Amino acid sequence: MTRHHPDSLSLMEYSAGNLSDPHALCIRLHLERCPQCRSRVDTLDSLGAVMMDHQPKVSVADTSFDQLMARIDNTPEPSPEAVARPKVDPLMKLLGQDINDLPWKRQLADVSVLDISDKFPGQNERVVLQKLVSGGKAPAHTHRGDETTIVLQGAFSDQNGVFNQWDFVVLNEEDEHRPVAVGCEDCITLSVLSAPLKLTGTFTRLLNPFLR
Amino acid sequence: MMTTSHANTMTVKERPVSPLDKQPEKAEKRRDPWGVLLEKVGKNQDREAYRQLFEHFAPQVKYYAISNGIANLAEELVQEVFVSIWRRSCLYDWRKAAASTWIFTIARNQRIDMLRKMQRTSAEMAVETEDLWQIPGENEDEPVTSLHRLMSERRVRESLSHLPEEQITVIAKVYMEHKSHQMVADELDIPLGTVKSRVRLALNKLRVILQDQNV
Repeated sequence: MTRHHPDSLSLMEYSAGNLSDPHALCIRLHLERCPQCRSRVDTLDSLGAVMMDHQPKVSVADTSFDQLMARIDNTPEPSPEAVARPKVDPLMKLLGQDINDLPWKRQLADVSVLDISDKFPGQNERVVLQKLVSGGKAPAHTHRGDETTIVLQGAFSDQNGVFNQWDFVVLNEEDEHRPVAVGCEDCITLSVLSAPLKLTGTFTRLLNPFLR
Repeated sequence: MMTTSHANTMTVKERPVSPLDKQPEKAEKRRDPWGVLLEKVGKNQDREAYRQLFEHFAPQVKYYAISNGIANLAEELVQEVFVSIWRRSCLYDWRKAAASTWIFTIARNQRIDMLRKMQRTSAEMAVETEDLWQIPGENEDEPVTSLHRLMSERRVRESLSHLPEEQITVIAKVYMEHKSHQMVADELDIPLGTVKSRVRLALNKLRVILQDQNV
C-alpha cells in the first residue's frame, strides 16, 4: 500500500519510461504539485544518464552526422514558441473539458463514475474517474489487484487518514476501506485498475469501482 | 543551519562578499564540460560543439535503442534525439540539469514516442508523449532544486561505483531494456520481491549519499 506519494520503485519506472500511459498520467499529475517527488525523479533521471554511460557504446554509421546536419539545414527552424512548449494540463487535454462538467453516471446516491479507458487506445488497463459528493459516503469495498488513484479535486478520508488533492494512493485486495468525501467540494479521483473491485458490504449488484 | 548567521557575520567582517554570492561561482567551476558545449549550441548554434556532443552521446543513444529492442530503428532514434537536442538546446540551463541527464530524458521521450507511433492504431490519444513524460516545472525558477539537480548526477555516478553488481544489473534492465520489475524477475528467474529489494537497496544507497552531502 502506498499513501500520499508514489513509492520510489514507481518513480523509477516513470523515470525509465516503462509505465503505461494511464499510470504515467497519475505520476505526472502528482509531480506537477509535489516538488519533493520531482526532486526524486531528477535524481532518478540522473541515474538513467549514468546507466546509459555505464553500458557499451555502439558506433553510429559514418554518414550519420552529415545526414543529421543536412536534415537540420533543410528543415526550417521551428518557432521559439513551438520549442518552448506552453505548459499543458494533460488531464484537460485528454478530457477536453473541466472534470466537473463531464457526463457523469450516477451509481449510488453519493457516487458517480465515468469510465475513460477509451481515451487510452491500445491500453489494457481500466481507467475510471469517480466522484463522491461533498460529505458523501462510498460503500465499503476492497480491490482486486493493484489500483492506483490520484485525487484530482476535493479530499476524502478513510480509516487511514485524509487524502487531499494530488495525493497518490495505491491499494490492493488487502485494503478494505469506506471513503467519505470531506471538505466543501465534491471529491473527484482518477484510478487505474488492473482488475474490478470487490464489494464487501451489503451491495449485491455489480458496482463500478469507486476509486479512492 | 545553526551556524549560518554566525558564519555570515564572520565572512562579512573579513571580506565584503557574502557566502551566498560565492555559491554560483563555486558551482560554475564544477560545470560539466558537456553542459558547456550544449550551451554553446543553444546560444550560437555552434556546430563544432554539437559535433563533439554527437561523438560522445550518439553511440550511447544507439546502444540504448538496441538494448530496448529496436535495433532496426537505432540510427533513426539517434537522428531524432539529436534533432531534438539541436532544437531544444536554447532551453538548456546548466544550473537545472547535467547535460547527460537532459540528453537521457530526450532519448527516453523519443524512444517512447517512436514506439507509440509504431503501435498507433486508427485511434489516437489526445495527449502527446511529452505531456506525460516531461517533468512539469522544468522551466520554473526553483533555486533549491536547481542546486540539488546540478550535483545529483555526479553523486549518482560516484555512488553507483559502490553498488554490488547484482543491483546494477537490475537497474540496467529497468533503464536500458524498459523492463518492468516483474519482467526483470521473470528473466533472471528470481522472485519479484528480490528484484524490488535490490532496487530499494540501491535507491537507498543513492539517497543516503545525497542526504549526507546535503548536511
